[in-house]
Amino acid sequence: MDLALTPEQRAFREEVRAFLAASLSPKLRRGAALTSGVFAEPDIAREWQAILEAKGWLVYHWPDHAGGPGWTPVQRWIFEKECAEAGAPILPGMGLKLVGPVLYTYGTQAQKDHYLPRLRTAEHVWAQGFSEPGSGSDLASLRTRAVRDGDHYVVSGHKIWTTQAHHANRLFALVRTDPHVKPQQGISFLLIDMALPGVTVKPILSASGDHELNEVFLDEVRVPVSDRVGEEGQGWSIAKFLLENERGGSSFAPAILADLARLRTSMGPLTGELADRAVRLQLEAEALEMTELRTLIEIEHGAAPDPRSLTTKLLASEIRQGVEALAVDAFGLAGLQLPVERPFYGDAMPTPIGSPEAQVAAARYLNARAWSIFGGTSEIQLTLIAKAALGL
Amino acid sequence: MNLALSDEQAMVRDMVRRFLADRYDATTMAKGPMSPDDWRALGELGLFALLTPEQAGGLGGGAAEVMIVSEEMGRALAITPLAEAILLCGRAIAGSAAAEEWGDRLMQGDALLAFAPGGALVDGRLRGSAAIVRDGMDAAAFVVETEAGALMLVDGQDSGVRRTPVRLVDGSMAAHVRFDAVQAQPLTVPAGMWAEAQALAGLSIVAELVGAMASLLDLTVDYVRQRHQFGKPIASFQVVQHRCARMYTWLEQSRSLLLKAALAEEEARVRAVTAARAYIGDAALKLAEEAVQLHGGMGVTDELAIGRGLRRVLLLSRLHGGGIAARAALAA
Ligand SMILES: Cc1cc2nc3c(=O)[nH]c(=O)nc-3n(C[C@H](O)[C@H](O)[C@H](O)COP(=O)(O)OP(=O)(O)OC[C@H]3O[C@@H](n4cnc5c(N)ncnc54)[C@H](O)[C@@H]3O)c2cc1C
Repeated sequence: MDLALTPEQRAFREEVRAFLAASLSPKLRRGAALTSGVFAEPDIAREWQAILEAKGWLVYHWPDHAGGPGWTPVQRWIFEKECAEAGAPILPGMGLKLVGPVLYTYGTQAQKDHYLPRLRTAEHVWAQGFSEPGSGSDLASLRTRAVRDGDHYVVSGHKIWTTQAHHANRLFALVRTDPHVKPQQGISFLLIDMALPGVTVKPILSASGDHELNEVFLDEVRVPVSDRVGEEGQGWSIAKFLLENERGGSSFAPAILADLARLRTSMGPLTGELADRAVRLQLEAEALEMTELRTLIEIEHGAAPDPRSLTTKLLASEIRQGVEALAVDAFGLAGLQLPVERPFYGDAMPTPIGSPEAQVAAARYLNARAWSIFGGTSEIQLTLIAKAALGL
Repeated sequence: MNLALSDEQAMVRDMVRRFLADRYDATTMAKGPMSPDDWRALGELGLFALLTPEQAGGLGGGAAEVMIVSEEMGRALAITPLAEAILLCGRAIAGSAAAEEWGDRLMQGDALLAFAPGGALVDGRLRGSAAIVRDGMDAAAFVVETEAGALMLVDGQDSGVRRTPVRLVDGSMAAHVRFDAVQAQPLTVPAGMWAEAQALAGLSIVAELVGAMASLLDLTVDYVRQRHQFGKPIASFQVVQHRCARMYTWLEQSRSLLLKAALAEEEARVRAVTAARAYIGDAALKLAEEAVQLHGGMGVTDELAIGRGLRRVLLLSRLHGGGIAARAALAA
């Protein structure tokens, strides 16, 4: 057993480091550091996506047959770790991490040829239309109907919590194509052009004041049957595949550790309880990093994912929430500012009291509460873990 | 020993509760600071006079009244300057000429005083700044605690007072205030009054937190009863029940420490308020976070009192160093 990187892996790490040092402008770093939501703001994300695509590293986690660079799990991890330490923007995952893998796994050749290149150039920006007002944890109860009419489905329904739908022009959605079978069996997976008549997006403001979330209303939207991924009724299996990527597709710990280190610089020396909390969070994040590494090293050596991989999103949520709460406390009264202007790095921002990191702390704390809700709540995760890891 | 409210106290509680119930429900709670008109209306009802010492022309209500009124404010998630304007600044001016100029207007809700720690006297003039002064944009005058610890009154109209707005997490407006050779009137605070003012302001904040906890728990219990997933109310899942039950234990423990602080003899009050602050702030934040979690996506929006309540609780629980400072004081 050993944890050391091979000489090739070390050389690879140097290559990544050099690329990041050369490509991450101060603007990109600042934009990333002062992002209050989960994903980088569109201006920052677009710029960074174009740089990564030009280098050939945008879809670093895709297999080579799908256009990825053919990296091993450990190489991907090295890349993620270096990006986190360099403070690179977090790109929205709905296209790259969620629908991309669905398309290269389940899509027809025509779908791959049409959608994958456009995803990479950001000509298509994707949103995820799974949840509905009545169907959150119980996703299989979803009611959006898709009725076949010749070469089209006529889709009507109401999606909610659709992250960044207001920036997107494509929606991937779960719809009910057969109301007469078991709920899971009647679901299909559709790609919906948001410019089609009948698609309406309505904003939902978060408690932080950020606009990340939306409702999407679908009113007799005519979607070509050729934009269904997989077979009719296969939507639930595809969704399960996608959710596994959403919860465990990449490592969480590197970003948490890097953010904690950056915060510790801006917070200054901590004493007493705050110092104690910082140490605990650091330890939890280090343990999580090792847990994530164990799983991906096993996968690299050909083993099937261990159920322990189910724990990472849950743990990452808790640690992330702890880190953002620590920041609020460490910045004192200055950590309780919450301007309404967005984004936090723009010229429109009022002068911060303390530091820009203090100014963004409360918004980040509030938005981090969502970590234990999106992509499956922590309660649902614990139930899955009890079943899969312990057989309960 | 007796924990029942007197008839007068029950009247005060009912009056405040009715007043707030006419104005706040789950859709309006914590949406923004209380309007100046509503604040004035509370002043006209005599509420602020009740909480003001007799030296300052008030009715001299004590800690129990502060608790009763503040808890109702918290229950409605009303965003008001009660703790600092009335309890802290109201007492700071009690023994000075300033009481004549500002006391009545403060008690009637016509003028706000804000507490501004910062600045120093140089050649008889106040210079420097106070980083974040709550309600500092609306304040007609400031009670300044200088870096040397002296209490002074500064008229907000003074041309050397410069304010920049700072929006706080609960949606209230604070100010960054600069004092540029400002005239400052020394305040003579009767012995013990300042310590009492600070204790009562602290008590008011924890009482508001307890009121907010009660509301957030009520709203959550209602929600989990009514929200269905997997074909049944989420309240039927044992995990959900246990978490609500745990929230209830935090509320009751908090209420106990609050009562202990409000009913403490005067010499024990400072420690009892510190103890209440040491526990209640963190309990309230945990409870508010659980309320958000049990609401799922609805919890993180600005649409429900839950998400906005979390913001208000975050602010109140972190004021004056929050639980961390209070625990450090107890340990010292
Ligand atoms: C910031 C954010 C971004 C999101 N982005 C997207 C997106 O882009 N696309 C999309 O489709 N969805 C998105 N979601 C939706 C997310 O997937 C749902 O919020 C989540 O699945 C929970 O559903 P719900 O909100 O309806 O909560 P509910 O399912 O109503 O849950 C409420 C509470 O009950 C608990 N609960 C429910 N069932 C059980 C049970 N069986 N046992 C124990 N406890 C239970 C939950 O854990 C939770 O605490 C997003 C959500 C958030 C907050």
